[in-house]
Amino acid sequence: MEVSTIRDGFDRVVKKQKLSNSKSQEVIDHVGCEIRDALAKFHSVEDQAFNQKSILSDLKNKLNACGPHSMLEGVQKELNANIGKYMKLLEKYFNPDISKAYRNVDFDFHTVNKILVGHFYRQGLFEIGDCLVNEARNPEATELRSHFWEMHHIVEALRAKDIDPALKWVLAKREKLAVCGSNLELKLHRLQFMEILQRGTRVDALNYARTCLAPLASQKLDEFQKLMACLLWQDRLDSSPYAELTDPTHWAKFTKELTQQFCSLLGQPYESPLTVAVAAGSEGLPTLLKLANVMAAKKTEWQAMKHLPVPVELGKEFQFHSIFVCPVSRDQASEENPPMLLPCGHVLCKQSIMKLSKSSTRTFKCPYCPAEAAVTQCRQLYF
Amino acid sequence: MEIDPPASNGNPSAPAGSAAVAAVASAAAAAAPAASKMTQLTESLKLEHQFLRVPFEHYKKSIRANHRVVEKEVSSVISGVGEVADSADVSRDEAVDRLSSLVSRLQGLKRKLEEESRTEHLQAQRCRARLDHLESADSENLSDWNNTRLKRILVDYMLRMSYYDTAVKLAETSNIQDLVDLDVFQEAKRVIDALQNKEVGPALAWCAENKARLKKSKSVFEFQLRLQEFIELVRAENYTRAIAYARKYLAPWGATHMKEVQRVMATLAFKSSTECATYKVLFEPKQWELLVDLFKQEFCRLYGMTVEPLLNIYLQAGLSALKTPYCYEDDCSKEDPLSQESFRKLAMPLPYSKQHHSKLVCYITKELMDTENPPLVLPNGYVYSTKALEEMAKQNDGKITCPRSGLVCNYTDLVKAYIS
Repeated sequence: MEVSTIRDGFDRVVKKQKLSNSKSQEVIDHVGCEIRDALAKFHSVEDQAFNQKSILSDLKNKLNACGPHSMLEGVQKELNANIGKYMKLLEKYFNPDISKAYRNVDFDFHTVNKILVGHFYRQGLFEIGDCLVNEARNPEATELRSHFWEMHHIVEALRAKDIDPALKWVLAKREKLAVCGSNLELKLHRLQFMEILQRGTRVDALNYARTCLAPLASQKLDEFQKLMACLLWQDRLDSSPYAELTDPTHWAKFTKELTQQFCSLLGQPYESPLTVAVAAGSEGLPTLLKLANVMAAKKTEWQAMKHLPVPVELGKEFQFHSIFVCPVSRDQASEENPPMLLPCGHVLCKQSIMKLSKSSTRTFKCPYCPAEAAVTQCRQLYF
Repeated sequence: MEIDPPASNGNPSAPAGSAAVAAVASAAAAAAPAASKMTQLTESLKLEHQFLRVPFEHYKKSIRANHRVVEKEVSSVISGVGEVADSADVSRDEAVDRLSSLVSRLQGLKRKLEEESRTEHLQAQRCRARLDHLESADSENLSDWNNTRLKRILVDYMLRMSYYDTAVKLAETSNIQDLVDLDVFQEAKRVIDALQNKEVGPALAWCAENKARLKKSKSVFEFQLRLQEFIELVRAENYTRAIAYARKYLAPWGATHMKEVQRVMATLAFKSSTECATYKVLFEPKQWELLVDLFKQEFCRLYGMTVEPLLNIYLQAGLSALKTPYCYEDDCSKEDPLSQESFRKLAMPLPYSKQHHSKLVCYITKELMDTENPPLVLPNGYVYSTKALEEMAKQNDGKITCPRSGLVCNYTDLVKAYIS
């Protein structure tokens, strides 16, 4: 991006604007001066109506002759030229109308508002979410709000190394967490134990281990033994084999894992879906705009097409589904046309295999290697 | 995604040098996404036309307005002098008085100009702040920059939807006042509020202010306002005034909009209680809402903004790019925005994306299966990533349990699949 070129263009506009302003000041001063001069002459010359007349017409002629308009006109012309140039520059370096890729469909704003409110709550911007509910007269999302409120409460507390709210939540969800194989409870106690070990006394740590860690020890015995061994190294944990356990990033990692679990139990994604969709939009828009330009002649097609005619490449963070495209037919695999593994390890779609084998009447050569294959040797894959 | 058969990919069992090859390969793989991130960034920056254009239009508008004031005032002072000079019987005192008042008028103009140049300066600063912001985007702060962009897009949406309080709050808490167009929309708010109260005054004033440009874009907004005022007079059964109004304000549009003029004139015969559909709609309150919509369009066009909110444009593009038939299945990954009901609803009328190449996501780790992390096939045809299965084998003495079918097998039973 040539921001410097654009900046130069802008600086030229500002320069001319300043010049034009000072020119205006100059003209005003000049006219004012002439009038004041004339007034001074009035005072200095005592009598005569004749003189008054000549002073006034003198003044009039002078003002008309100096032509303030022509004085201003020049700089303004230059300024306007620079403004025009700058606008052209913007048009050249940027895409002047990104709405070309917009499909004129009913984009229900209630739904959009609902998404925004959810987004604000998720980000912990409760006040802004409430304000939007109010202003947009949206139905309140009380339930979602209280869930995210709890989540932010837990996260805030963890930031201050207070594990209580987190522990309360983990205990309340113990069964559900066990189902997804999460050991948040143990991890939480481990964090707290290490914290006590570093800041408190050995007795405190030992007591904590007895009451909180021991009941969970069977989950991960080796983990538990390691923690107990840490007791021996208190005061010099940094030089112990367990120094890694004191790493403060464990808190941040734990917070992330807990938020992930929290969202997943809510049936919500970990990343804000709005953030993901808009980020995908900014990656996809340039391609879509190029496409829209190519298709500009057939506007109706743009509005009506069911499939985009070209792929819009997104980063791998936007890949949520396995999509198999047959390298022979370029068709996307489907239930009727599933991907099949050839004995040589290459994968084709069923229809392509049928074609190559003349409807399974004979063996065929793999299109990617010299191996021969028969349809009966091929098996369906599930991604 | 390209995964070559082993023959062309070096010999995986060769002990010497294979680590070095792998290191080079992974370094190249790391460099490639970084480079593509940069081109992607450059491409996405090109979408920011409105971001620079709107504050510049604002700046330009003040410049132009100031010029007009200076020109008008100076020429009227000069013609004032001319009048004094040309009138035959002006007493000396009177002449002095009139000239002095012209001098103080010039002083007033000068003060005003100074004030305005401060405004211009602030506006120029805002344009600069935006240039700085665009320039500040690089691969290091990309995620922060993207977050700010999302916030800018949201503020833009809320301003266009007239959720001003929320817009201001979000801009303030995120400290992005210079990067959003709060002040520009203040101007729109005045007009919209008035139209919602069924007052056309501010809207007409706005039309007068932007007459030249509206005319250039062949805008019919003013005409629509006049029609509505006429309708209101008819509604109030104020016929004589209505006719006088039509003569003065509707007749000039006759040359280009005869049909519409004729149609509203007919309401004189029908009254506001008419059941005749053609005329009934003209009296409906939603006409005022249409005026608000029309104003918003004209306003956006004048400032070089897209007519649709940026949010809608970005969301549509993003959802089209993400939309696949798999998104609507029950086991759709929660991380996919299209697993959420509201996003599905928005995406309904949008096209599906197209893929030219296979992209396989591991069911267990949700990671992409590529050359680095190739897909392995279980004896029953289920496919998972090497990473996931290696980890599972390590934890369970080389045994693999398929999470979807429950099949148990040995790690050694797995075969590689080559996807091209």
